[in-house]
Amino acid sequence: MKTPIRMLLAGSMLAIPAQVFAAPVEVTLWHMEQPPHRVERIQMLIDEFNAANPDITVSQEPQNWGEIYAKAPAALAAGTGPDMLFAIPDFAPILKEMGALTSLADFVAELDAEHDFVDSTVEAYSYDDGVWAVPLYNMTLNLWYRKSVFEEAGIDVPASWDEWRAAAETLTADGRFGMGLPANKQLYTDQTVYSVMVNGGASELYNEDGTLRFDNPETVAAYDFYNSMMEFSPPDATSWTWGEAEACFASASCGMVMQFTVISTYENQAEGDAADLGVAAIPTKDGSDDNATIAYANAVMLLSQEEAEREASKAFIRFLLQPENYGRFLNMEPGLFMPVTADGAEADSFWNDPVVQEYREQIETVIANGQNGKLFGFTSGRVFPAIAAISAQNVLAETLQSVVVSDMAPAEAVTAGQARMEDLSR
Amino acid sequence: MKRTMGWNLTLAAGLGFFVALVGLPFWWVVSGSFKLPQEIIARVPTMFPQSFTWQHYDKLLSSSDYGTYLVNSVFVSGLSAFLTLLLAIPAGYAFFRLEFRGRETWYRVILLAYAFPSIVVLIPLFTMFAKAGLVDTRLALIIVNVAFALPFAIWMLRSFFGSIPREIEEAARLDGGPPLTVLRRIMIPLTAPGIAAVAIFAFVTSWTEYVFASVMILSDAKRTIPVGFSGIIGQYQVDWGLLLAGASLAILPVVIVFALIGRWFVTGLTEGAVK
Repeated sequence: MKTPIRMLLAGSMLAIPAQVFAAPVEVTLWHMEQPPHRVERIQMLIDEFNAANPDITVSQEPQNWGEIYAKAPAALAAGTGPDMLFAIPDFAPILKEMGALTSLADFVAELDAEHDFVDSTVEAYSYDDGVWAVPLYNMTLNLWYRKSVFEEAGIDVPASWDEWRAAAETLTADGRFGMGLPANKQLYTDQTVYSVMVNGGASELYNEDGTLRFDNPETVAAYDFYNSMMEFSPPDATSWTWGEAEACFASASCGMVMQFTVISTYENQAEGDAADLGVAAIPTKDGSDDNATIAYANAVMLLSQEEAEREASKAFIRFLLQPENYGRFLNMEPGLFMPVTADGAEADSFWNDPVVQEYREQIETVIANGQNGKLFGFTSGRVFPAIAAISAQNVLAETLQSVVVSDMAPAEAVTAGQARMEDLSR
Repeated sequence: MKRTMGWNLTLAAGLGFFVALVGLPFWWVVSGSFKLPQEIIARVPTMFPQSFTWQHYDKLLSSSDYGTYLVNSVFVSGLSAFLTLLLAIPAGYAFFRLEFRGRETWYRVILLAYAFPSIVVLIPLFTMFAKAGLVDTRLALIIVNVAFALPFAIWMLRSFFGSIPREIEEAARLDGGPPLTVLRRIMIPLTAPGIAAVAIFAFVTSWTEYVFASVMILSDAKRTIPVGFSGIIGQYQVDWGLLLAGASLAILPVVIVFALIGRWFVTGLTEGAVK
């Protein structure tokens, strides 16, 4: 190229405003919502955000819950981690211990003032003088049944453990199992076991001083009751995860199941009648109406240490929580993800979804049940980091397997369970 | 020797049992992928489909990146198998033919690679690959697959080379053939069944590899079938039709490889018999 032309081009470049050259801030979101329709919904929201914010480019990389516990720390250590990462309460302490998190207390307070978070969802990430993630959606376990099956059997929705067992016994007939309960050494069993425990006065795993109090009469009673219900569960339930339980219910092979939701499968695979689908709070030991359940407040953590990326990530989170967007975000899986903000729970974008409209009664019940949601290890306002290891090793489920599969007495199994927790805590 | 009717029946029953043991799960998966969702999750399962639909395949290929995962898997597994053979054939021949210090020790030492479960070396390898800029590349998977398949491939091939009568090789050497020519012209054709077996082993090992593929690959567009497919299935809610369709399609390339290389495998055996 001849020199005068070069100079002309150089001069014209200088004349162009600087912002034309400013590359957009690129931020990456890792989440574990991998099914294609969820990825598609998140991409739709990302595209809208990117279009409205030309100085920011958000991209998503769906990951798998099965590997994220190993993958995220390795990626962060190698400098290839994301800027935003979805979390559940027992995942956040792992990254916090690595020093990958900085408190988002101010940001969460700002969002709380605008949208009013459900308190328990923020509490799950509030400890050690910080708030380590922004709550995004809630998942709670509920008791699902078919109204027509209950009517035909002449039973009411159980309120106490005795009624629950009697209902399961009555429903166990003609090749049907009264209650689909897992006994696998896996997270689903942790969730179902803890949902029984919280309704039997055994919600606390820790004493005030951080010592374990898993081994107590209430926990033993919960395991004893759970074991007695296994009599009415399919024989292969010792290897179940969520999918098998849901299929058992959808095919009407199980009279009742404990699940976050069955709506999607009931609607799309079983072609069930929305009016016939029943959902209730998990029964309490004594039949009181102080029902509780396990609740997973899913959240998003900010991992980038660069100010520009952190601000860009915050802008995206603000966008997601706006009521006109939030409902569409939650309805990437209608009936599974529940709002964690007051304005989100009333948002048209949430309630206008066709599936949500069809199952409005059930979803309102699920939201109401979630008001008393708890998560083991995150119930007392103090979080002890060892809970991450206890959760990762599925000790609650392991203890149940000792009872159900190895025929150990519940008291003995619970004592062994606490010893195992103490080992993992060292 | 004439077999009795009872013996024939026992043999047939035994054969039928094992065919059913291997074949029924495949039948269950493939036939289920064509059933309507209600029939798949029905309380009483049906051995033969009472309904027929392409909807699961349609959904799988139209609304997910399954096609991309499939192409990635074919690329990674094909190249891994090819490179494994490229390295294992001369290495196996060298361990069989060449005399060098520590040959027997090295021959045993290479199998040490199998002493470590992949999960043990996962994080160190991730860190090394990150430093080399290989994380989130298909090349990383190929390197890992070849590294893990190679020791066993060398072992197998040395045994195959050892089964060739020494006289055949010596005749070729007497005709003036250098080792590489003897390997290419004489040994490789004669060990074709063994090479086919190693190729199948390397391909299937790479095809089903999950641990490294799940951690080394970060972006969706570079995932292989096992990892990408596990994401499509979902955690809390399983689309059983999608699962069965995906599993059926995942079998297909492996069946094709068996069909193509298997023919070569048999040809190699029969050619040897005629000669």
